[in-house]
Amino acid sequence: MLVRQVDGYIKIFMKGNNSLNTKYLNPYVAGMLLGLILLSAFYFTGRGLGASGAMKSVVTSTLNTIAPNHTSNSEYFAKYVADGKNPMNSWLVFEILGVVLGGFLSGAFAGRLKLKVEHHPFITSNKRIALALSGGVLFGFGSQLGRGCTSGSALTGMAVFSLQGFISMIAIFGTAFIFAYFFRKNWIGG
Amino acid sequence: MIEEIITSGRMNHEIDPQLHIWGWEIPLYLFLGGLVAGILILSGVFYILGREERYPFTIKILPIVTPLLLSIGLFALFLDLSHKLYFWRLYTIIRWNSPMSWGAWTLMAIFPLSILWSVTWLEDLKPQWFNNYKWLHSSLDLLRKYRQKLAMIMVFFSLILGMYTGILLSAFNARPFWNTAILGPLFLVSGLSGAAALVVLFSKETREKKIFGRIDLLLITIEIFLLIHLFMGFLSGTQVHIEAAKMFLGGPYTTFFWVFIMGFGLVFPGILEFMELRKFKVPTAIPAILVLIGGLLLRIIIVDAGQASRWLY
Repeated sequence: MLVRQVDGYIKIFMKGNNSLNTKYLNPYVAGMLLGLILLSAFYFTGRGLGASGAMKSVVTSTLNTIAPNHTSNSEYFAKYVADGKNPMNSWLVFEILGVVLGGFLSGAFAGRLKLKVEHHPFITSNKRIALALSGGVLFGFGSQLGRGCTSGSALTGMAVFSLQGFISMIAIFGTAFIFAYFFRKNWIGG
Repeated sequence: MIEEIITSGRMNHEIDPQLHIWGWEIPLYLFLGGLVAGILILSGVFYILGREERYPFTIKILPIVTPLLLSIGLFALFLDLSHKLYFWRLYTIIRWNSPMSWGAWTLMAIFPLSILWSVTWLEDLKPQWFNNYKWLHSSLDLLRKYRQKLAMIMVFFSLILGMYTGILLSAFNARPFWNTAILGPLFLVSGLSGAAALVVLFSKETREKKIFGRIDLLLITIEIFLLIHLFMGFLSGTQVHIEAAKMFLGGPYTTFFWVFIMGFGLVFPGILEFMELRKFKVPTAIPAILVLIGGLLLRIIIVDAGQASRWLY
């Protein structure tokens, strides 16, 4: 009886399949856990989560190494290197390092560590990579125009009841929903 | 009134408040020296234990790179010298109380030993290279008879080499962060761990990789233990040592040390190797590469932090 009960709980945790070896967590459970992580980030660090900020630090410090004059003359980049500040000295950079470590461990636990490109059989790996790269570039621009990405602006914003957070969320997912129509053939074929 | 002129090292801006003597050369040399010591110890010890067939890469192949690694390390050391043409003066005297003298003489012993050890194995692996050199062939045959004794002498000197890379720093009383006896064993264990990582990285034998992954995990655990004791020792020392430890516990070296050396260089590869032991599929190269990078970073940060640590008055 107890065994069956425990198995039932595990089934809720693990998406769909009835075996213990399912590879992915139930998305609803994962979402709630993410919320708890956000809560604990507020508790421990006094700030919410972010992701694009780490990328921005990497870009800024790369630019600052190659072309320091350009960096300090640019209105956008200058504030991150003002007074000899090191843009890499940001907690988001370390948060993302942690994400990489955690993701790697989680992949190892689930036996999913393999170098591969996931794509629909109708498109090639190269096309998938090209689309992902261009999508990423657009999202990078968008996140800087909107002062934050899904994590920093939408997720963290909504958690503190910022109106901007809700608007970000609606804009990001609403636009994605509309544009999915045009790009659906890359994923569902036919 | 009698005027007295006091000359002290503390008037030298290169010395006080912070040493600016050692750049990248010394940490690189300490890393390569430790790695060579680790490789030769593993090779020699497992040879003495008669594991030639089980661990062929560790015993026969890996030591072949040691003369090269040692040359690179010594070249870095040479670059660091201010009076490069006078390096031979180290060999005009034996000073029992100078770690630098110990190091110089140990290197004098270990360098030829590593060459002899590698060459005998090289002939076993590639006999065709030696076909045209009959005299070499016969002298190597003679040497091969004494392999067991050679291994013992080599392990002895390798242990000294591995320890001395740390003692060199810890004998420097004027810099509190270096002034701890743990540096010797710490660098020795770190060198051994790097050598085991090289076996995991390059060996083709699955069984050998697996065993050395375990050995590496054990060495990583010892290294973490030693590092924790390093800080415990400092914190229970004088105010000077407490201040030295504080550079890593909230001071300027905190993030670099705890994230990149303790995290990425020891704990994370340790977890990965442990997971691999528990039959999870982990690419073994990743922990091995992290351990090697961590070993180099450890030398860099210890050399740098030592120069920054100072007496308080």
